[in-house]
Amino acid sequence: MTDTVALDPNRHVPGLPRPGFRRTLHAEWIKFWSVRSTAWSVVAMLALGAGLTTLVCATSADWLASGEADESPGSFVTWGLMFAQVTAIVLGTLAVTSEYGTGMIRATLAATPSRGAVLAAKAVVLTGTLFVAGTVTAFAGYFGGNFFLDRVGVGLELSDEGVLRSMLGSGLYMAGLGLLAAAVGLLVRHTAAVLSIVLALVFVVGTMVFLLPGAWGEWIGKLMPGNAGSPVATPVSFNPNLLEPWVGFGVFCAEVATVLLAGYLVFRRRDA
Amino acid sequence: MITARGLTKKYGARTAVDGVSFTVSPGRVTGFLGPNGAGKSTTMRMILGLDRPTAGSVTVNGRRYADSPAPLREVGALLEARALHPGRSARDHLRWLAASNALPARRVDEVLDQVGLSDVAGQRVGKFSLGMGQRLGIAVALLGDPPVVVLDEPVNGLDPEGIRWVRTLARTLAEQGRTVFLSSHLMSEMALTAEHLVVIGRGRVLADCSMSQFIAEHAASYVRVRTPQRSETAELLRREGLDVTPVDDELRVTGRDAAAVGELVGRAGLLLHELTLVSSSLEDAFMTLTASSVEYATSTPITAGAPR
Repeated sequence: MTDTVALDPNRHVPGLPRPGFRRTLHAEWIKFWSVRSTAWSVVAMLALGAGLTTLVCATSADWLASGEADESPGSFVTWGLMFAQVTAIVLGTLAVTSEYGTGMIRATLAATPSRGAVLAAKAVVLTGTLFVAGTVTAFAGYFGGNFFLDRVGVGLELSDEGVLRSMLGSGLYMAGLGLLAAAVGLLVRHTAAVLSIVLALVFVVGTMVFLLPGAWGEWIGKLMPGNAGSPVATPVSFNPNLLEPWVGFGVFCAEVATVLLAGYLVFRRRDA
Repeated sequence: MITARGLTKKYGARTAVDGVSFTVSPGRVTGFLGPNGAGKSTTMRMILGLDRPTAGSVTVNGRRYADSPAPLREVGALLEARALHPGRSARDHLRWLAASNALPARRVDEVLDQVGLSDVAGQRVGKFSLGMGQRLGIAVALLGDPPVVVLDEPVNGLDPEGIRWVRTLARTLAEQGRTVFLSSHLMSEMALTAEHLVVIGRGRVLADCSMSQFIAEHAASYVRVRTPQRSETAELLRREGLDVTPVDDELRVTGRDAAAVGELVGRAGLLLHELTLVSSSLEDAFMTLTASSVEYATSTPITAGAPR
């Protein structure tokens, strides 16, 4: 072994400035981007979101322009985000469960004992990335899909009602979904279990509850996270029975916050 | 300096660590020895604030680990070599750790060099052998150049050259004035590395003493005497005040060395077929001490202390 550096006498003087939240954030940022699954998920989001939107608009443009269409072109320019949602859920899940699956959570908490700081840093990195990726995906899908809609005269302007809102809304909704998955991850900790729960909640249960009879079923359906959160991400919803975009997004945020709080309380108490 | 006072950890009805108290002092290698399941890893996790003690406390340099302003600069730990994401490179793993505690980026390359992983730093750790993973774990422990180093089973998976490297490293760190706390379930390994011992079994401290004291107290030795005149010889030696235990066809004599026993027997004109000093190994001493506290004992009787 080579001669190591001399012991710094000030190293463990009480009052030495604690590496602040910025450091924790930087560490989480490096962690997030130094595994391949992150880049793959973001690429998959772009490919699925923007690619499928463009494809569907290209194939449906003539039908939308004809008099027979019973759907709005506004539902089609964000079509691919239905599938892009999956990648946001995967990213959010892995941000937490990969730490538990590999035992790395111990290294994380040994480096940063404050669990609140770890969770906050993870949330900022995850939501920041997903907001940007979701918004970029939405714009790319809009420009790709709208090219075909424009050619047949049913294109949308960015200034049309709800279009710009749905672009930013896509980013917000992706960020929220990722955070929801991460929060469930803190509670359940196993990748497969978390993915099953969140995907089922958003895609399967969210659709099935509409089959429940009466106003009761209708309201439960409207309040399910996927149904409440998604209208903000599209100019016109396919399903006319959903909450208003921002009202729904508010409900969705409250639901995510509740699960996140539960996740945090468990995370803070549980042995690593 | 690590100080544990009445440290206790219960998982439901099972008590993993049961009122453990000890002090790990700087400037020497302290071995933390115990059979598997004795509570070593649980104790080490509590030192790092990963597990919450059910009762008692443990402090590093006078305060709880979690209260440290920059924990990696105070305590370096190897907990489990595989506490890593297999898809991340060794360098990236060290980079995020360095970032989290505001350590200079150059430390990453310094420790990679120190543990001999510079050439494979860019490889994903999933491809690492057990030994390479262990070296990376040690690099993590050294990253903050900490005055306290805690290593849980550091020689696991290392080849003989690697084992010697860890031994030298531990001693060098201690010579630099650091507190070095090293766990193992192998007594033979400890005998070569540690100056001080904390022995734990079933969650309790069985011994807390210097290595030489441990050897003196627990590693018994005796003189084996074989003779066709067993009863006469035994009688003679007992008359001389020695302790004699007949076992099978031999006599086990304690209280005098082999030369003295031989002279006594020879002067009395008795025949001798064998005269051997038998010292039980440290391994045996450890087995004897922890025999009743082995968590996963096999049904075969333990023959600790028996001559080989």
